Amino acid sequence: MKNTDKPLDVEVKLIHPEETEYVKIGCHKVDDRIDEITRFIKSRQGSLEGYSEGDMYNIPITDVYYIESVDDRTFLYLEKETYESRKRLYELEKVTDSFHFIRISKSVVVNLMKVDSIKPALNGRFSCKLKNGEDVIISRKYVQGLKDKLKG
Amino acid sequence: MKEHLKEHLKECLRNYFIIVTGINLAVFILGMIFKPDQKLGYDAFLYPIIYGALTSIPNLLMVEKKEPTVRQTIFREIIGVILISAILLTTMFGGMKITGELIAISCGIVLSVICITLMVNAVSWILDSKKAESLTNDLVAFQNKING
Repeated sequence: MKNTDKPLDVEVKLIHPEETEYVKIGCHKVDDRIDEITRFIKSRQGSLEGYSEGDMYNIPITDVYYIESVDDRTFLYLEKETYESRKRLYELEKVTDSFHFIRISKSVVVNLMKVDSIKPALNGRFSCKLKNGEDVIISRKYVQGLKDKLKG
Repeated sequence: MKEHLKEHLKECLRNYFIIVTGINLAVFILGMIFKPDQKLGYDAFLYPIIYGALTSIPNLLMVEKKEPTVRQTIFREIIGVILISAILLTTMFGGMKITGELIAISCGIVLSVICITLMVNAVSWILDSKKAESLTNDLVAFQNKING
């Protein structure tokens, strides 16, 4: 019997209401089966429709690094891939708000969980260094909103 | 009016007052160096306001729909310095005979424009670095809280 054929033990533990709920998987290696379970869990927490080369994909919101509006088109940026969305930026801003996304300029909404650090840019603006190495600019107008969100 | 135009006008207005202050300082320093005995009338108070408005024109015209990157902003600043210097020199000395003294004063004016631009950006960079550090600390705390 192959390792991947073995059923996984499932354990559900009740935790204190103040603790953040989580799903933890113990595995020997991250194979297709584990990837599938991870994708399923992420999609249960919310997903966005994204289009690439005419095909539609369900993208887990938590995988999105940032959303950008360019010339009336909206794009979802993941770690390496980019998908186009048929929704407007303000609609996506509302959908992703509870997933720790925030508007940082007139054309960009960023996932705060994917931001590595914040650096100054010129003219009172700041730059978000994302965990995939990309940089996105925070406009002066949105700095206070970001500060308030981080402070809770 | 579109939101980005409103923001741009606000930024230009803010920069206008910084420029007027900078011109006042530059006039004082250059005047003390080149013409310390010069007597000025009340109209002298108007010049920084007029030159401030003139030097705000390049900034006013450089509207960007998309948020510029740091590299684009630096390029924009350099273009701005060149245009501001050209406007100031044309307005102040346009049609005058070029002499050694005029060249020296012109160099002083260009140097003043560069110094004011660098000074404004340096002060802003130092203040923003502290703010960025504080924001990064808040971000790490926020992420740790969410991740439990």
